[in-house]
Amino acid sequence: MKVYECCDIESVTKKIYCRECGQEITNEREVPDKGNVYSYTVIHVPPAEYAHLAPYTVALIELHNSNVKLTVRIAGEVEIGDEVELDEFVDGAYVYKKTS
Amino acid sequence: MTVYIQSVGMTKFGKAENSTLKDLMLQAAHEALQKAPGMKIDAVYVGNFMGGSLANQEILGAIVANDLGLGYIPTAKLEGACASGGIALRQGVLGILSGEYENVLVVGAEKMKHASTADVTQVINSAMDRDTSEKHAGLTFPGFFGVLANRYFYETGASKEHLAMIALKNRENALNNPLAQFQKPTTLEEILQARHITSPLGLFDCSPTTDGAAAVVLTSKPTDIKVLASSQASGPTMMQDAIDLLSIPAIRISGEQAYAKAGVGPEDIDVVEIHDCFSMTEMLAIEELGFYPKREGWRAIAEGKTKVTGEKPVNTSGGLLSRGHPIGATGIAQIVQLVHQLRGTAPNQMAKQPRLALAQNLGGTGAYSVVHILERV
Ligand SMILES: [Zn+2]
Repeated sequence: MKVYECCDIESVTKKIYCRECGQEITNEREVPDKGNVYSYTVIHVPPAEYAHLAPYTVALIELHNSNVKLTVRIAGEVEIGDEVELDEFVDGAYVYKKTS
Repeated sequence: MTVYIQSVGMTKFGKAENSTLKDLMLQAAHEALQKAPGMKIDAVYVGNFMGGSLANQEILGAIVANDLGLGYIPTAKLEGACASGGIALRQGVLGILSGEYENVLVVGAEKMKHASTADVTQVINSAMDRDTSEKHAGLTFPGFFGVLANRYFYETGASKEHLAMIALKNRENALNNPLAQFQKPTTLEEILQARHITSPLGLFDCSPTTDGAAAVVLTSKPTDIKVLASSQASGPTMMQDAIDLLSIPAIRISGEQAYAKAGVGPEDIDVVEIHDCFSMTEMLAIEELGFYPKREGWRAIAEGKTKVTGEKPVNTSGGLLSRGHPIGATGIAQIVQLVHQLRGTAPNQMAKQPRLALAQNLGGTGAYSVVHILERV
């Protein structure tokens, strides 16, 4: 997964300027898709467009070898710290699963 | 130049089946103007979030000026998600500080109860950055605070019970507020056993949908209530951009700026209205505003320090959780309660009449935060 960095702030989304130094952000690198669950919620009351998925789990993942976090949907139950990996990219969403 | 508060007005919060968005705005504004006799209003600012999408009604500023008969004065609607009211108030304050206006009417209003929960949730989601994979993952507004809550529990000694204590406190406060939406008593057990919304958050951890409006008249003419500080900050629009998930920088920075402008610190504040859109948000806000150390807010909750009878009363109105959360009105409703506290006429009036009051109004998942500090003079 591609991440963008300046002044030690890494993100999966590219900002134009770095909020620390004000320079245009040009550093990018690849990090593994794998990570650990940093936190999560189970959504029981969804917006109309995701009603067919409910209840579903949304988690914040901390990717390995970086301080980058990524918001993903996960099939099944998870706990903080669980090892997870990318399963598929569907309709603009990263869908993860527990590493078996 | 100094800005003062002349008067306030507020509708009953809840379900206003027979009132339109306009009816609600006019009712709150009329009440405030009745307590500002002879005062010529120079401008109107309206705080509103979903008038266009849910009530199919815009041009709210001009409607208020026209239907109140205020003349050909400048008006505008301000949108900043749930901080729309606070942002409108701040524009009124700035308008007077600039010297352009002497008297400004600020109104906050929302009409939500006629729509389905799925539709309201969908519209509220427009307060997140929709052009991201985070949105496509299905994260919702309450979902964001559910993720925060699980991490908070993981890093501290807090549990769902501490969130329930916040919800219970605010419900108990609302019982004495005749304008509050929820006036049915509850218990810790009922709160803990309520159905899940975005676990660990349950029904009582989430603010309701509400119809209602509130208004305030600002003036450069001295009154008994001075606006000591007005400040605003922006923050990350995505959860995955948070450097520290348990910090909401917009709250912290708007608070620090307000304290600096007012020349006071968190320890000086006597009474507080905080943006408890979720019980978890109140927990983080009492920490970010410096009332309690980071990751220690839950201890203060457990010790009852934020109750009306505690050292730092928070949300004596009932808060968003129980007073109700008509989105654009919330930032103004906070001011209504604080003005009453400072004047000694509030529901849940503090035993010792307060002198310094702080209101904090949040928009999005930390995208906006507005802080106002009021002083009784
Ligand atoms: Zn930089």
